Amino acid sequence: MEVKETYNGKIREATIGLGDTAVTVGGETSLPLYMFEGAAPNKPVIALEVYDTKPEDWPEAAIAPYADVLDDPVKWALKCQDEYKADMICLNLASTNPSTGDRNGADIAPIVKAVADAIKIPLIVYGTANADKDAEVMPKAAEACQGKRALIGPVEEENYKTVAAAALGFDHLAAPHSPIDVNIAKQLNILITQLGLAPERVIIDPTTGALGYGLEYCYSVMERLRLAAMTQNDSMTQMPMINQIGREVWKAKEVKTSEADEPAWGDAETRGVLWEALTATALIMAGSNILVMRHPKAVELTRQFVAALTGATN
Amino acid sequence: MALTGIDIFKQLPKTNCGDCGVPTCLAFAMKIAAGQAELAGCPHLSEDAASALSEASAPPIRAVTIGVGDDAVKVGGELVLYRHEKTFFNPCVFAAVIDDGMDAATVDGLLKQTNESRFVRVEQDLKAGLVGVKSLSGDTAKFVALIEKVKAATTQPMVLMCGDPAEMEAGLKAAGETAPLIYAATAANYEAMAALALAHKAPLAVCGTGDLDALVDLVKKIMAAGVKDIVLDPGTRNPKDTLERLVYIRRAALNKKVKELGFPIIVFPNEETDDKMMEAVYAGLYVGKYGSVIMLSDLDAARALPLYVLRQNIYTDPQRPMQVKPGIYPIGNPTADSPVLITSNFSLTYFIVSGEVEASRVPAWLCVMDTEGLSVMTSWAAGKFVPEKIVPFIKGVGIEEQVKHRKLVIPGYLATMSGELEDELEGWNVEVGPREAADIPPFLKTWAS
Amino acid sequence: MSKLIASSAIRGAHSLYNKAEAAYNAALAAKGADQPVSFPDTAYYLPVAYALLAIKVKTLGDIQPVLAKAKSMLPDIPAEDAWLPYLGNTLDSGIAALLSEEIIEAMKYVMGPNPVEGIWLGATDDVIVRTQGIKLVDGSMPGFAAVVGAAPTTEEAVKLATELRERNILLFMAGETDGKTMADQLNEAGVEMGWDVYLVPFGRDISAAVYALGVAARAAMTFGGITPGGMKEAREILMYNKNRVFAFVIALGDVDDEKYATAAGAINFGFPVIANTDIPQILPTGITTYEHVVSNVPLDKIVDTAVEVRGIKIKITKIPIPVSFGSAFEGERIRKEAMFVEFGGQKSPAFEYLRMRDMDDIDNGKIEVIGPEIDQMEEGKAYPLGILIEVAGRKMQSDFEPVLERQLHHLVNGAEGIWHMGQRDMNWMRISKSAHEKGFKIEHFGEILKAKLMDDFPAIVDKIQIKLYTDADKMKEVLEEARAAFIARDERVAGLIDESVDTFYSCTLCQSFAPNHVCVISPERLGLCGAYNWLDAKAAHEINPTGANQPIIKGETIDERRGQWVGVNELVRAKSNNSVQQVNAYSIMEDPETSCGCFECVVAILPIANGVMVVNREHTGETPVGMKFSSLAGSVGGGAQTPGFLGVGRQYITSGKFIAAEGGFKRIVWMPKELKEALAGQLKKRSEALGLPDFVDMIADETIGTTEEEVMEYMAKVGHPALEMDSLLG
Ligand code: SF4
Ligand code: SF4
Repeated sequence: MEVKETYNGKIREATIGLGDTAVTVGGETSLPLYMFEGAAPNKPVIALEVYDTKPEDWPEAAIAPYADVLDDPVKWALKCQDEYKADMICLNLASTNPSTGDRNGADIAPIVKAVADAIKIPLIVYGTANADKDAEVMPKAAEACQGKRALIGPVEEENYKTVAAAALGFDHLAAPHSPIDVNIAKQLNILITQLGLAPERVIIDPTTGALGYGLEYCYSVMERLRLAAMTQNDSMTQMPMINQIGREVWKAKEVKTSEADEPAWGDAETRGVLWEALTATALIMAGSNILVMRHPKAVELTRQFVAALTGATN
Repeated sequence: MALTGIDIFKQLPKTNCGDCGVPTCLAFAMKIAAGQAELAGCPHLSEDAASALSEASAPPIRAVTIGVGDDAVKVGGELVLYRHEKTFFNPCVFAAVIDDGMDAATVDGLLKQTNESRFVRVEQDLKAGLVGVKSLSGDTAKFVALIEKVKAATTQPMVLMCGDPAEMEAGLKAAGETAPLIYAATAANYEAMAALALAHKAPLAVCGTGDLDALVDLVKKIMAAGVKDIVLDPGTRNPKDTLERLVYIRRAALNKKVKELGFPIIVFPNEETDDKMMEAVYAGLYVGKYGSVIMLSDLDAARALPLYVLRQNIYTDPQRPMQVKPGIYPIGNPTADSPVLITSNFSLTYFIVSGEVEASRVPAWLCVMDTEGLSVMTSWAAGKFVPEKIVPFIKGVGIEEQVKHRKLVIPGYLATMSGELEDELEGWNVEVGPREAADIPPFLKTWAS
Repeated sequence: MSKLIASSAIRGAHSLYNKAEAAYNAALAAKGADQPVSFPDTAYYLPVAYALLAIKVKTLGDIQPVLAKAKSMLPDIPAEDAWLPYLGNTLDSGIAALLSEEIIEAMKYVMGPNPVEGIWLGATDDVIVRTQGIKLVDGSMPGFAAVVGAAPTTEEAVKLATELRERNILLFMAGETDGKTMADQLNEAGVEMGWDVYLVPFGRDISAAVYALGVAARAAMTFGGITPGGMKEAREILMYNKNRVFAFVIALGDVDDEKYATAAGAINFGFPVIANTDIPQILPTGITTYEHVVSNVPLDKIVDTAVEVRGIKIKITKIPIPVSFGSAFEGERIRKEAMFVEFGGQKSPAFEYLRMRDMDDIDNGKIEVIGPEIDQMEEGKAYPLGILIEVAGRKMQSDFEPVLERQLHHLVNGAEGIWHMGQRDMNWMRISKSAHEKGFKIEHFGEILKAKLMDDFPAIVDKIQIKLYTDADKMKEVLEEARAAFIARDERVAGLIDESVDTFYSCTLCQSFAPNHVCVISPERLGLCGAYNWLDAKAAHEINPTGANQPIIKGETIDERRGQWVGVNELVRAKSNNSVQQVNAYSIMEDPETSCGCFECVVAILPIANGVMVVNREHTGETPVGMKFSSLAGSVGGGAQTPGFLGVGRQYITSGKFIAAEGGFKRIVWMPKELKEALAGQLKKRSEALGLPDFVDMIADETIGTTEEEVMEYMAKVGHPALEMDSLLG
């Protein structure tokens, strides 16, 4: 049966972190998971979320795995690293959100530094996607973890010069964040690389929609980016991609609602874990390389899925 | 389906008689081109034209119907490899497999799930679609008894699973004229199975060995026997191999027009792992990548709901977004002094806005207007979310009876129409809300009536 | 090239080299070759030497090759009567001077006295370079200035420092004039200095100026990602500075040989020199983006000159007006009762007009109110208001005038309590009572326009000045000029035909929902949403070169009648992700252009009537093709080619290229009455141009019929030309 495709494109490899524990993503020479048509030298990796302040509003099932560490980002990160075997840590600077905590760069820099110094695995640091605020916060965050080759995001169209420059200046990688739009994703990549950041230091954040909450938009935009990368050899789409899954999934109504409130929806933990795992695996099918996740059980399922589909062993 | 509306029009009688239900032949042609009408709709079509058109407009992947009546399901009929190219048309279906080795309680439990696993989401009815009935014992009597039990308990169409044509024949008789999916013809039994499919007007699944060329040969013979409604099982039972076969089959059908592979596909995540959570994850893989009938070990709600929602997402037409019902949505027991917000009925907008309003913990009235499923900006641009439409909606929806104040919060992106709206919406003050949904909570927290 | 400068620079370089060599030899004798040498907290060694020579100086011994290289670059001191040491010699001596200065400063760290002393900060560590570099890259710090020498008086020094700080320009200070440095002057005046306040005193000696170049070199290595390796990389580092680091040197007071040499070094980095004394100028552009040396600039003009010469763009973060500004206010209306005064709207003469001027003709930032201010206006009345905006820019073109002028509506409306509609000399504005109470004045119109046009269009607007005429007599003359310009513009647009240009523009803005849709925008075919014509797309591309509008070189013509070109096909193929192979710009039947979804109108064929109908978005009724607009939109949209159907912008209907392949305008047999009325003037003109003065009346509308049959009856009655035309279906 002659239906094998040959692709002329390749996803760039990007390395986050330094030394033995550095993680490389990308390098695929076929559409995602199409192992029968190309190579995927680096399997998708999973970063676990850590927040700079104790989160409110998390459903019980998400709290349970972290109940003892939620108010200490360093312990939390170490637990993710040592107990849940995260490939990376994604530190979310939620408390800098102007409408909630509104802490500034100087306030969170010590937290970033403490987490960066405590963990061995690579670090991702994410702001709140408030362009103005991130422009103030992210340079401080990037400075606080200098020397770690972290991934800094999100870089927005409105603040790319500042945030990408911070990644550039402190020798990190940057995650440009586009609003579910192929052309804006490409344009942002062009702008960032024109600024001087090497394309090997760019990871696309296409905006993540959780299952039931816009997943299909995200899925198709990522699929389109991958098709452009593979079949048209479009250089500005050939970066690995990152998805913020945990954050989006665990605020969905179907995930937050307890079984007591909706008996017909079944066990809340099972539902939440699968909601997250299905979001993650669907996005892997669409081309995700870095999955930022929350529940250890969902992580486990996602890992098994990757192993089964890529033939990699865990 | 490369025929354009004009190509089709050329074959039509060009009389604009209107008997097809639309006013002109060209409008009818456009409907056929879009797959929204059948050729048979025009009673005046010449025979030559009909055969020329039906040949050319035959879909590369056949749409196959399983079951009869209201609960029949249609699968296949897909036209694209990637949903953004057009859409995935006929949503895949799930089935929990009940076998004749199970004890009565297990069977009853699965039947109960089959009947009760239903959810309504964005005005759509979400359910499994099928039920699998499998002969494990080889004991025809047991198989028949189970079929009778299932048939009595549920109206969902069945997938009858049994390799022995004689036993299958008994099963089909027990199933009556319900057009169950016959699973499955193999190289060893295809002649008998094909005869059964024809005799019982039931679709036939063809089970391969993993070798697609062999599958093509087998299907060719079955087609030659006269069977039209076929469902393919590539025969693999691990997700890596299955994905490969599914991709190849879809491509062969769409790009190479391999007729023998132009059929919907049945997959068995329930046989690819013993872990029910992984089974669901693999089922998710097949929802996205070309599975049409997905067999599961059960339909536990906590696992079924996420899968159904995934199917809903993947099978949403990218150009025709999901809509929620227009109306007033009270969030968190609002009172006569609670804020009133208006937004579009694009389901994603609704979900995100209502989620943020909920998160604010400020009770509020969310008025969802019919914007034909377009988002705020798009519907505004299309003239569907404009003062002329908002005024009658607000006046008619009954919100004036709910609140004492007259302040309407509009999406921040529509700031440009605030003045015009205020002029036309008598008695109301218009306030410009935040542009991004995420900023709704702080906005509402400081809102004062 | 001035011989004087060249000779001085060369002499200065020799002198600096000698000092460096002496200091080096003394250190070597005292500490030995293994003595470590470094500036504090940097991974870039001696940054200038590292950047330009790729030499990693770690010990005294490592300095030897740097010195040798500096020496090799020293040109001979020209004899008094020799003519023309060329620019290259001067530049080389500049590099030699910088290398020498860096060694001089490094030796201070080895032998003392420590350069960090009193107000002096000495070398800059890497963290500061990075944090300041981010501001340089993101534009929040538009550039830096290196001052050498001292201002004539302390007051002038403070004033200069304040002016630079107001523009967020970082100021480096080094070198003295008659024993005084600018940093001394600021210190005397009690001005606080340091990195936080953008005032950085490096050192008393001129050699300390090299720290500024050390910062610049490291910025290029860090942010330009350039690792030194040899000549190529050295050049890249210099180019990075030239193109991206908007720095300049301000030479105050007498410029001695060593200062000349240092300045020559800076010119290598593309940093021009502005002097307040009468030194020879080097104006031709080349190494620096603009002029190299501009002299005799009065101190109070120095910053403006520097900003202009270096092409620095200053970001305006807050518009200085007493009312709020933002898109949330764009839609507010001001009713008569809430109005303080109004302008235009047939009640008083008013206009808005933007024109391009030469750079020199503009007094940048000037806002002038010609006539009474608001405090001389009475509540409830209408007054004249003429807004004349004049802009200059190295990339400005007169074609962009209307594009910028049209921004005025949305910019002025952004202010709270201000309302605007219309355009040109048919505009209408109101200021509300509350805006008046808050202190809004006529001049604030100017502030808004100045800030926003500069900020939103930095690529084309370098300078701007605004005149606001509230005196009817005084505005007359300008109004006449404006009217003449409007006519000329219209003629220019009317005269633009597809054949007259070799570049079209693409628009892919709609791909967010129609993934494969591309609009091909030509002079005679605007984007189908009606929002982008060829000039808009051209300007949009200039303003945002990586945006949704890209130029299309038409290339070889494949089919003139249908409008098909090699270049257009190639681009459409690429931008449509290979889903559209070829398009005919002027055809509805064969390979028509794709339609996205936001078209203003749909053109559909009426195959039996042998004509086409046009229906606009606003028309909700039945149409002769048997589909309402909404179902037409459904079957046409999405980015696919749909023969027989075409989404178009209104203005395309009367274009000479309207479905030219199928016979054009004369094919139109039906359109809604409302659309006919809206386009009445243009339809008439087009009919007349075609020699069919009564044609508009031959086009049926819904009052005549909404079925193809009724349309055909009418066509027969009026003798519609489409009856005689070739069959549409071929
Ligand atoms: S029924 Fe047939 S002939 Fe009549 S309008 Fe419809 S397509 Fe045309
Ligand atoms: S319709 Fe308008 S916005 Fe859309 S692609 Fe065409 S020109 Fe651009």
